[in-house]
Amino acid sequence: MGTHVCRKQMVRWMWRWSVCRVAVSRGHMPFCSTQQEPHNANPSHTGQVTHRPGNQLTLCSLLEMGFSETQAKEMHECATNSRGKHVPSVLTALLLLGLNPSSILKIMQKCPEVYSLKGADLQQRVDHLRKMGLVEGSLQRMISHYPKVMLLPIKRVNMVSRLLREKCLFTIHQVTEILRDSPEVLEEDLAELEYKFQYAYFRMGVRQPEMVKAKLFRMSLSELRCRHCFLERRGLYQTPDKKGQTLIVNPPLKDVLCVSEEAYLAQVAMATAEEFHVFRKLMAKEQEEEGREDEYSSDEDEELGEDKDDEDDDDGVHRRKRHWKTGYKKDRK
Amino acid sequence: MAAYVCTRSFINKFKDSIRFIPRRYRVKTKWAATRPKFPATELALHNFDTSYGIQLRDLWPSIRVAMLCEQKYGALINSFSSVPNAIKDLEAQGCKDFISIDCSRNEVHQPSQDYTTSHRDSTELEPASLQPSISPDIKCLVFPQGDISRFKPARPDSSGILGYYLLDAASVLPVLALDVQPGHTVLDLCAAPGGKTLALLQTHSVNYLWVNDLSGSRTMRLHRTLQSYLPKEFLDESKIHITSTDGRHLGITEEKSFDRVLVDVPCTTDRHSAMVEENNIFKRSRTKERQKLPLLQTQLLLAGIQATRRGGYVVYSTCSLSQLQNECVVQQAISLAQQELGITVQVQDLRWFAERFSDTFHFAPQLNVGELVLPHLCANFGPIYMCKLHRMN
Repeated sequence: MGTHVCRKQMVRWMWRWSVCRVAVSRGHMPFCSTQQEPHNANPSHTGQVTHRPGNQLTLCSLLEMGFSETQAKEMHECATNSRGKHVPSVLTALLLLGLNPSSILKIMQKCPEVYSLKGADLQQRVDHLRKMGLVEGSLQRMISHYPKVMLLPIKRVNMVSRLLREKCLFTIHQVTEILRDSPEVLEEDLAELEYKFQYAYFRMGVRQPEMVKAKLFRMSLSELRCRHCFLERRGLYQTPDKKGQTLIVNPPLKDVLCVSEEAYLAQVAMATAEEFHVFRKLMAKEQEEEGREDEYSSDEDEELGEDKDDEDDDDGVHRRKRHWKTGYKKDRK
Repeated sequence: MAAYVCTRSFINKFKDSIRFIPRRYRVKTKWAATRPKFPATELALHNFDTSYGIQLRDLWPSIRVAMLCEQKYGALINSFSSVPNAIKDLEAQGCKDFISIDCSRNEVHQPSQDYTTSHRDSTELEPASLQPSISPDIKCLVFPQGDISRFKPARPDSSGILGYYLLDAASVLPVLALDVQPGHTVLDLCAAPGGKTLALLQTHSVNYLWVNDLSGSRTMRLHRTLQSYLPKEFLDESKIHITSTDGRHLGITEEKSFDRVLVDVPCTTDRHSAMVEENNIFKRSRTKERQKLPLLQTQLLLAGIQATRRGGYVVYSTCSLSQLQNECVVQQAISLAQQELGITVQVQDLRWFAERFSDTFHFAPQLNVGELVLPHLCANFGPIYMCKLHRMN
């Protein structure tokens, strides 16, 4: 199946090259690695180009692609250092996305591993992301800000997407938004990703739409826990009860997560930075000790396990949830 | 961690003796199969949110988060121990003795104060020479502000005496405020578990110390603590007298006997009640007991006042933030002492005291009577309330 796709790609590229050949005279990007002038490209060359995978990148071709001299020099240097075998195809794929040369340079600087990719793989992954709902504009923005996404195999992207849809019950639109806003979610460990969701859902009583709006997955779990527990212990945030009610009005999640630390401290927590820093240290210590306690208690529980009555135990729930004394049911109303 | 115990055999053993255990001690959380529906800690916090939210307003969130986090300890140095380099070892870890630092800070300011006193208004702070000194023999080491390191347990010396005692550093303040002078007889009315008692003994100024607590078991614990910290010669009956009676009786039996009296009354122990579920005073079964606390506290303070000689001092202290248990009790005791016993008691201004230690502790601003140490994440000591009274007749 892979070769099938490859062949399809090659055909597509051939078509594109032939199109380009027409446009070549107008100065559009050619794909020749020879020293010849673009507008002098003759039919025989395009024939040759289709057979040669073009694994050698020259300054000339870079210039033709639209890079400035300095940019071209840098790209060439990095490309040769990386020993990537298919750099030109990678660059073509990026150019086809509509990214301009300076963005491409930035991407390569941020993530030199892209050089080592195969153009075909890259194209596949980009198409897959398109299928996931990332339209033009969002797709380019995502790749420019988070080039690592191109290194991830399609299987990985699918696994994350499935987790978000099936276990966390996000809609497809919400999943697309999450991928767009927080592409780093694709690299996170799946168990930790689920735990973060459960923390927000059960411990903080937040629902999926709010999570997406607040870009929950951009924040690390420890930082999320820190900001939440700081508010909770100050009396400014309460876990909703079984009916979803609280005695106070909880601050909206986006006001807690999407702001800088200074703004959070000044407007939401109303505390000093020193307090928060000491609190963060204390939380880290508490987490460390809880981790050690969990190791011991997991043995104890097995022995005393006779009549444990866990009313709040939902199906398929993570073991740690039992310590959270919330009765909030996992329904989507 | 606790060793695994077969619960069934344990409970069978206890079935016969169950009626001798006060009801509130019977159910142990670690043996219970379910957790309580409304944990007492939640009830406590709810109570605090309601009352302290109004009483302390903007200060309350910072206090609340500090009380729900790990508290900061101080190491009270035991001068009876001969552990070599105990202080140096602790200082090497980064701690400092806050008493000597805060006092020397004041002395540094003394010369400049002397020069400027003549220029100042007479209503300004008293000149340094008139300001009371603070017992320099008590040493209590703490880690700096913002440092959350923990102390290691104290090591015994060659005779088995421990080098230091870990306690809330703010607990030392009432003892410092008491200002024991050499040769004094001192009464500690509600002494258990014994931290303040130890601090009193560190002054080396106590001629005769009467230590009392209502609870028999806690008095035993206090006795054991003193045995770990004092050489045998100091535990002589003629120097330290330990009793386990109702402190309210001592007011009548030991009238006007003591130079200094420390009344560290039982209270709602706010920090403890917010964190520890076991035997929590906010449990529903202890509601009556809790509601009668202010009355008990007033009676104990009155007894303490009665036991003080003329011209002596009484320090009243609690570990609660509640106005009802602090200022209200003091004011009630003062008026009762005047009306029913004809004793005139004057409140001593401790603002100079609070200012001296304001680098280490966070004090509440402007209390009517007494001083209150507030828990704060950067200085997580307290809550401790103290008030010094002077018996005039």
